[in-house]
Amino acid sequence: MSALLKVENVTMRFGGLVALNDVSLSIDKGAVLAVIGPNGAGKSTLFNVVTGVYRPTSGRVTFDGAEITGRPSYEVVDRGIARTFQSSRLFSDLSVLDNVIIGMHTRTKTGVLDALFRPGASRREMAACVVKAEALLKLGSGDLFEQRYRPAGALAQADRRRLEIARALASQPKLLLLDEPSVGMDDTETDALVADIVRLRAENPELSVVLIEHDMRVVEAFPHHVTCIDYGSKIAEGDFAAVRADPRVQEAYLGKAVAHA
Amino acid sequence: MQGASLAAPGKAAAAAFTIASQLCGAAFLYLILRVDGGWQVIGLLALLGLGFTLLERLPWIADYALASFASVPLVAMITAAVVVLAFPFFVGSNTYILHLLIVAELYAVLALALNFQLGSANIPNFATGASYGIGAYVSALLAINFGVSFWLTLPVAALAATLFGFIIGIPSMRTRDTYLALVTIAFGVVVQQLLNNFSWTGGPNGLVGIPAPSLFGHSFADPLVIFGWKLPSQANFYYLSAALVVVAIVTAHRLHGSRIGLAWNALRADEIAAKAQGINVAWFKVLAFAVDAFLAAFAGTIYAFYVSYISPDNFTFLVSVTIMTMVIVGGMDNIFGVIVGAFLLTILPEKLRAFADYRLLFFGVVIIGFLMIRPQGLFPQRMRRYGGDL
Amino acid sequence: MAELLVQQLVNWITLGCIYALLAIGFSLIFGVLNVIHFSHGDVAMTAPFITLGLAQALATALGASSPAWLVIAVPVAVLAVGLIGVVLDKVVIRRFRDAPAMMALVATVALGIVIRELIRHLYPQGSNPHAFPRLVSGMAFEVSGVAISWFALLVVVLTVALVAMLFVFLRMTPLGLRIRAASEDRIVARMMGIRDARVFRATFFIASAIGAIAGLLFASYAGVTRFDFGVMAGLLGFSAAVIGGLGSMPGAILGGLIIAGIEVLAQTFVPDGASYRLVFVFLLVIAVLIFRPAGLLGRTVMEKV
Repeated sequence: MSALLKVENVTMRFGGLVALNDVSLSIDKGAVLAVIGPNGAGKSTLFNVVTGVYRPTSGRVTFDGAEITGRPSYEVVDRGIARTFQSSRLFSDLSVLDNVIIGMHTRTKTGVLDALFRPGASRREMAACVVKAEALLKLGSGDLFEQRYRPAGALAQADRRRLEIARALASQPKLLLLDEPSVGMDDTETDALVADIVRLRAENPELSVVLIEHDMRVVEAFPHHVTCIDYGSKIAEGDFAAVRADPRVQEAYLGKAVAHA
Repeated sequence: MQGASLAAPGKAAAAAFTIASQLCGAAFLYLILRVDGGWQVIGLLALLGLGFTLLERLPWIADYALASFASVPLVAMITAAVVVLAFPFFVGSNTYILHLLIVAELYAVLALALNFQLGSANIPNFATGASYGIGAYVSALLAINFGVSFWLTLPVAALAATLFGFIIGIPSMRTRDTYLALVTIAFGVVVQQLLNNFSWTGGPNGLVGIPAPSLFGHSFADPLVIFGWKLPSQANFYYLSAALVVVAIVTAHRLHGSRIGLAWNALRADEIAAKAQGINVAWFKVLAFAVDAFLAAFAGTIYAFYVSYISPDNFTFLVSVTIMTMVIVGGMDNIFGVIVGAFLLTILPEKLRAFADYRLLFFGVVIIGFLMIRPQGLFPQRMRRYGGDL
Repeated sequence: MAELLVQQLVNWITLGCIYALLAIGFSLIFGVLNVIHFSHGDVAMTAPFITLGLAQALATALGASSPAWLVIAVPVAVLAVGLIGVVLDKVVIRRFRDAPAMMALVATVALGIVIRELIRHLYPQGSNPHAFPRLVSGMAFEVSGVAISWFALLVVVLTVALVAMLFVFLRMTPLGLRIRAASEDRIVARMMGIRDARVFRATFFIASAIGAIAGLLFASYAGVTRFDFGVMAGLLGFSAAVIGGLGSMPGAILGGLIIAGIEVLAQTFVPDGASYRLVFVFLLVIAVLIFRPAGLLGRTVMEKV
């Protein structure tokens, strides 16, 4: 089975700081990969390298057969990778609905000339986006649809995370990168989140998901492929049980007095 | 949270409200243009302030107004057209008032143009006066040196300014925020200095003798005769500028409600997140520069042919700051607000002519005041609403 | 030929020092507060006016000609401008410290306008240029047939002294170290309790005072002062800071020398070059901002994603 995403020997240096050290991993179509590790281990940096925010110092990233190393973010999204951010980067002064519609940017094509000289076509495309966006909002847990005209900045934390995911899904991605989606959620909300992801995968069997998580409730729900990163290096890989039992992983988490959710 | 709210108005009520409010607005504008003497102006300003405070305290008024206008768009537009077309007839032969209106209309266009960058995309463009100036100079040079007609110079000047817009836009791709503002300031100064120094642009003395445009044999320098009424020649330019304002409004409205407007708002809110949605931020920034320059050039061309004399002093850094003030004060990313800002900041300084020498000081204090107290402007941006939801 | 060269060299260094002093003010404020204080040039150029006004007032009140009172007026003006800087921060600029950069920029541009207009209205006949005396006159000595003026010497000595004092201050005094810490990393400094008002007040005072000295030298060099000199001073000083690297003291000096160099070269080699000097300077600024936005000696700041 050929992998959808392949990260090969990626190293990311910021001056003297090595954020990622010769990291390799891959994920197949329709699979879920959980990435765990202590704070500051480089997990978000991994996402940033894959999505073109940073150009890796060395190494390759291949997606769906094509090399995307160092390609700019907007191009990577166009190819079918969508992501959320560790600290929600929502468009705070725009409505919830608008946030999702913006997520559809790569699947729409009205350009400036269209907007000016073919307003009917532009409006029709926008109306179609609105319909799809509303459908997306209704799908997840929470009541995002009822809040659709509220500014995104006014949402509660759990809703913000949900909106980030809805926005990411709007681009109909093949690969979804979720960066700590359960941050700020209590157990009930976390379970709802897990249910959302399960349902998502059921509806889109080809969708692959990479999950950075601290909350082991979530990782437990998707135990088949887990990778642990510490100090920029991959220190363990396998299924959840194996990784959890790995002494290096335990030392990474427990050997340093860091509190987790 | 909502307070009192009215149910969506019925068609008849909406139509009545639309017509009445526009007529009131027109009457107020007429009054403020007509009055002389500081106290009357201050009185009208107080009235304005009162109206505004009411709007703030009772937000349902604004919602009701917008709902009315939205439910009977045809009535609203026809009323607006009638008001705009008929206004000069009431003004009569008062050329000074017509002049003020023309300048206000042109500034409204400039402010709407800048709003794409400043309001929608949060790109501070201190060189917007330069695009304005390039439009004016290119068209003037074509007319004076090659006898090109006004109507042909319009697209050429617009193209030239848009090219300039792209040129400034290119550095904007890699720079952001403060540095970007600095680049635009630098560009503005460079353009102004070059205009000042080149002899073929007339140097510091500028260009004179720009011929008046003509349409179907009627020269804009001649009085306008409609249905037996004779309007001063300024009326020609008044209608021309009004037409441009309409074009600017339509452009702004269409872009704002489209994928483009959303992309601009996205990059305004968070560039990195915008890129993560697939938005080619660099391209959209450049686009904002280009659209601004395009419209500004139109305004510049009309201005050049109206006053028939331009010099680098008309397009200084201060002009850019003035236009910026109009957007900031009127309301960032709010078409109505921006136009109000433009009219207010064109007409008021003229009316407070007793304090003419303090005009710049007034502007400076106003900008700082607004930025400190009400940075979103008089009429803040509104959430987009879709479909039947209003 | 050698004479021309030496003369130009002297001009270059003199002007470069003045621009460097202006740039240092911009850099200091930006480094610590992350605010581009666009009205710094205007603040600096209030100094010549205050000096003239004070000297005049003292002469009228206590007799003797006003040039004699310069000895008192100058230092008082420098201190006064330092205080003005602090007051402006407290009243206006502080509100925009954490605001989006664009707002701060527009606000300080507007502030500059306000300052210029206030000068114009408050100083008698403010719209006209006013003669400003050379602070020291006469020629000191000769080098290859070119007379070096005391003024040029004053500028260089003063600049070197100020830079040295600033260097020592920033590295060896507790307040100076706190300022540097705040400049290195605002967030960490704040967490370590260094975000106290004293640091900001001190920064503004020092920057404005140095700016005042630069303003006085600038007016002295030009022989005249006008209410809108602040525009030019500000644009050139801040260009120097940007080219050298905002936040970097050595960068400010380097930038000042570069800008002065361009100006002198333009004047010498391009016909009618004087009026084009701004064009060249700004084209360079644009180039730097595109290719090396942190400036020649500045640090790039990475945003956490």
